[in-house]
Amino acid sequence: MYAATISVALVGGDVRPVEVQVHVGRQHDQFKLSGLPDPAVREAKDRVRAAVMSSGIAFPNRTVTVNLAPAHLPKSGTDFDLPIALGVLAASREIPHPGEAVVVGELALDGSVRSGASTIGAAVLSARWGMPCLVANGSASEVAAVPGARVHGVASLAEAVELLRTGLEHHPTAEPSHVGDRQGGDDLAEVRGQPLARRAIEIAAAGGHHLLLHGPPGGGKTMLARRLPGILPPLTESDAVEVALVHAAAGHMRGLSRTRPFRSPHHTASRAALVGGGSGVAVPGEVSLAHRGVLFIDEMAEFPRANLDTLRQPLEDGQVTVARRGITATFPSSFHLVAATNPCPCGYVGDRRKPCECRPAAVARYRQRVSGPLLDRFDLVVKVDRLEAAEASGPEPDPTAEVRRRVVAAHERLVDGPPASTIGAGELLRAALGNSLLTARGVDRVRRVAGTISALSGDDAVTEEHVAEAIALRADW
Amino acid sequence: MSGPALVHPGSAEYPVGLHDLEEPPAIWLLGQLAEFSGVAVVGTRRCTRYGIDLAEGFGSAIARAGWTTVSGLARGIDAAAHRGCLRLSGHAVAVLGSGVDRCYPRENRAIYDQIIDTGGAIVSEYPPGTPPDRWRFPARNRIIAAMSAAVVVVEAAATGGALITARLGAELGRPVFVVPGDVDREMSEGCNRLIRDGAHPVFGSADLLEELSLVIGPPARVSDSDHGIPAQGVQVSELPALWSLSITESLVKLGRLELEGTVRRLGEFVVPS
Repeated sequence: MYAATISVALVGGDVRPVEVQVHVGRQHDQFKLSGLPDPAVREAKDRVRAAVMSSGIAFPNRTVTVNLAPAHLPKSGTDFDLPIALGVLAASREIPHPGEAVVVGELALDGSVRSGASTIGAAVLSARWGMPCLVANGSASEVAAVPGARVHGVASLAEAVELLRTGLEHHPTAEPSHVGDRQGGDDLAEVRGQPLARRAIEIAAAGGHHLLLHGPPGGGKTMLARRLPGILPPLTESDAVEVALVHAAAGHMRGLSRTRPFRSPHHTASRAALVGGGSGVAVPGEVSLAHRGVLFIDEMAEFPRANLDTLRQPLEDGQVTVARRGITATFPSSFHLVAATNPCPCGYVGDRRKPCECRPAAVARYRQRVSGPLLDRFDLVVKVDRLEAAEASGPEPDPTAEVRRRVVAAHERLVDGPPASTIGAGELLRAALGNSLLTARGVDRVRRVAGTISALSGDDAVTEEHVAEAIALRADW
Repeated sequence: MSGPALVHPGSAEYPVGLHDLEEPPAIWLLGQLAEFSGVAVVGTRRCTRYGIDLAEGFGSAIARAGWTTVSGLARGIDAAAHRGCLRLSGHAVAVLGSGVDRCYPRENRAIYDQIIDTGGAIVSEYPPGTPPDRWRFPARNRIIAAMSAAVVVVEAAATGGALITARLGAELGRPVFVVPGDVDREMSEGCNRLIRDGAHPVFGSADLLEELSLVIGPPARVSDSDHGIPAQGVQVSELPALWSLSITESLVKLGRLELEGTVRRLGEFVVPS
């Protein structure tokens, strides 16, 4: 006797259908599981047996063979429990064939269903194939927000059996909950002084420019960086799904939050932790967890140079391919890079009030820890002074909501590409190239930043003023 | 470019100041040495970042005034003074303790080349091919001092070449300007002792230019000062306060000044050029 249920595996930033094939034979009591299960999947045998019995249903006293197809794809996690259990019951004719439904869920020994990381994957597959999905109650309404998904939540195996016996079409789908856009907490208005840095972060947000903040300790570089996600427009619906899938692949249940991710790996993070790795299955790294959000590299010069250089390819391509035993997975990695660094080992070179204790050679070595090609990625490089100096001057800073309004408006203007340049602006750029103020690459950067400044100002074209400001903000580290 | 030339005392190309020496030596010359007003900027090889920034600033200030920076091409302060001067395409003269064809130390090859390219000169009393022996260095210091209208010492320990140059300069009647330093720092000890012995303390590029113009005469070139940025420079974040403009307006103005070449970046600072 044979039955198959449909489940889902998370691979790269995407989902792959998994067919859970169950055969119940004639021999005596045995339970076999194939299809590259990891230990968590293999233990499904015990959970499924206990959960079925706890639900008051007889577990077939026969040879049960389960295969997770495609068999060459490594499977992990506990979300195959529920599809295996339903498959076993269908194969032994306890319940009707589950048929056209995507099923995920971890079983507890008492028969209750818990949600795992694949829940979002089931909703995505449901939407893509136009079939309903069966998931744990706990996160049903969260993933129901995936556009086009038909999500049914169940609290227990018994409830799942009941739903299938009466037919899914007779039951209402879960109401999508509004995870919404939680932007609270850190407001840009809390950053006192620092008008230069606040201007730079606004331009960075509006144009997606990578930003390098440097300066002595205590200037608020980290404070500023943490406020960048807040001034970015919230994630779109489809971006929120993309982000949720990547996080699910790392085992995080993020839901469909519209808040942009903010990742801040410590400088001791391994290369695998930064760009992705994992054993057996491919796990996304920080560059992918920061997809559509902000990757903040604090104390950049403390990172081993080789690790920093691994960021270059994901930065360039917007995706990163992780090769692991048995599987090669590609994760998206379009992130907004913000880095912060002290100017020298002691942190005070160039500071007016505190002497630097570093030898010149030590300062040069410190700066060389960041490779030129990586530095080239930063369109904006600004010094962040210590607060006591900057605090005194400057008007009341704009709050996050106000800055975000301007950034969103600039994004909308930039959708159709950067604005055209006036003749004067073009002449200015040529002059900068002519008198060696800028290199050819520098001109490109200035041109991009000037386009963003123009969009922020609401002007129709890139003017000489926009170019001049972009020149003043160019990389000088 | 022509090769090294030997210049004898009394010839048109011979630096006037060298006649003040008891026995003016014939000198080998690579590059050009037209009539010039030289200022020697010297200091220790084992300098700090602070010393480098100052020496570069002095080199630039001297170049901006249209004068010539004279130094010894050594590591540290010497190289920084040359660099600051060359950054503004100013004239620089490097006096070597080896033959003029032997760039020593070799790490300063770029400076050596640029000195010649920008119309400055490499000078030595030793014939081409002479190796850079340590014992020759103190002797070349008397040439540095004599070729210059004034001597500026940036960082110096209680012993060393910079101090020798300063003392020789004083003996030749050249005013000696010294950057004062912390009393407990090794590399300020020489400077502070010079001040006690009667050298003039100097408090930065602007101050140095003022003092030098009393000695040499008004600068050959006068820089446009409408931006109000002091010679020791300001940070970008300080510009709004300096100009009483918003940050955006300040950045626009800064960009324009940079394009004109009126100001430039020096590390974290914006300085007049």
